[in-house]
Amino acid sequence: MDLENQQRVKDIAESTPAEDIIVVLGGAEAQAAKLMGDTVTTGDPTFAGPLAGVQLGLTAYHAVEPEFKEAVDADVYDDQVGMMEMVLDVDEIAATMKEVRGE
Amino acid sequence: MSKKKVVHYINQFFAGIGGEEKADHEPEVREGVVGPGIGINAALGDDAEIVATVICGDTYFNEHMEDAEAAVLEMIEKYDPDLFIAGPAFNAGRYGVAAGAVTKAVGEKLGIPAVTAMYVENPGADMFKADAYIVNTGDSAATMGEAIPALTSLALKLLKGEEIGTPDEDNYMARGVRVNYFADDRGSKRAVDMLVKKLKGEEYETEYPMPAFDRVDPNPPVEDMTKAKIALVTSGGIVPKGNPDRIESSSASKYGKYDISGFDKLSEADHETAHGGHDPVYANEDPNRVLPVDVLRDLEKEGAIGELHQYFYSTVGNGTAVASAKKYAEEFAKELVEAGVDAVITTST
Repeated sequence: MDLENQQRVKDIAESTPAEDIIVVLGGAEAQAAKLMGDTVTTGDPTFAGPLAGVQLGLTAYHAVEPEFKEAVDADVYDDQVGMMEMVLDVDEIAATMKEVRGE
Repeated sequence: MSKKKVVHYINQFFAGIGGEEKADHEPEVREGVVGPGIGINAALGDDAEIVATVICGDTYFNEHMEDAEAAVLEMIEKYDPDLFIAGPAFNAGRYGVAAGAVTKAVGEKLGIPAVTAMYVENPGADMFKADAYIVNTGDSAATMGEAIPALTSLALKLLKGEEIGTPDEDNYMARGVRVNYFADDRGSKRAVDMLVKKLKGEEYETEYPMPAFDRVDPNPPVEDMTKAKIALVTSGGIVPKGNPDRIESSSASKYGKYDISGFDKLSEADHETAHGGHDPVYANEDPNRVLPVDVLRDLEKEGAIGELHQYFYSTVGNGTAVASAKKYAEEFAKELVEAGVDAVITTST
């Protein structure tokens, strides 16, 4: 996750209780999703950004996960995510995100 | 026992200063850990801790190599560390070069254990693996999780003065250091065992890994040879009689540039080969056999080529490292281009 986005997430987490925040991720690969997910939970694993060593413990879902899909308007989802849902390895991403959330 | 002191080197990106736009950041030092130092410190455990972090922009370091290295060394020395760690640099080229250069300099000038880590294809790896311990990492910071334990494991071994294993055992890049050991089986048996495994399609490990050479794409053809200026370059060791530059007969450490404007052809009286490793009689008898000045003069007269370049460049290919050959060519290729040479004929022995 780039340095600016890490700072944005950090700023939001400082003004809002963690249980009121859900981070929605959009990486194209499970590995990328894991990096971003780890960044907002246990801290930036690359130790390069503002979240290095900062454990926000936020909850993160990937945009192609069923939990997110069911929670949003189906038409908007189809329009915005539908295409990527078809080309991405949804199962692998979902399994990785479960791991990130410690489920 | 108090913890041993470690100084850590990172670039501007891992210090959170910024990416490419901040790469001209001048060297600075901060007390304690910054960026990946957090993870490294945790992995060092009770044995050692990072007391300071030196940060330098990648562009700054590479554009001011000598000054930057001296400044960084001075910062490191002030903390009187027991161990130095740089990186990991993954596949960031200029970061890898900086990390390798500083690691080498610390080892040589401060005489303390120094180690860095990067991806095998990082240009810094080839440049410094012979002079510094470089731990293997993946190609991106996504592999930081595996890189840190590998790096600290070797660092702690060095710090404690423990015996360092082979590159495979301790996950660092081969430094070209040969160590004698007693094998259980004699060489012929090991070779046959390997061959049998190979024939069966089983895995085997060579005792003499071959270097991987890059491939060079051919240049586009010369459009009009009748107007082209042609230069001769040889690894066949042809030199003026007496070998004035003392080019070595093997593992050449230099190349020569020689004027042939006065020669219609070469002869035994004025040229010879410096090349070892084969019978040089025929090359010495008629040096045109290796460096065809005679034929090119003919072609020049016939108008088949525009002209033969005034100078030829020569080195000895026998046992000469590919990296050295590449370096020589990079130097004189610039001169050839400046001299308006259109094409080069390269000959060997």
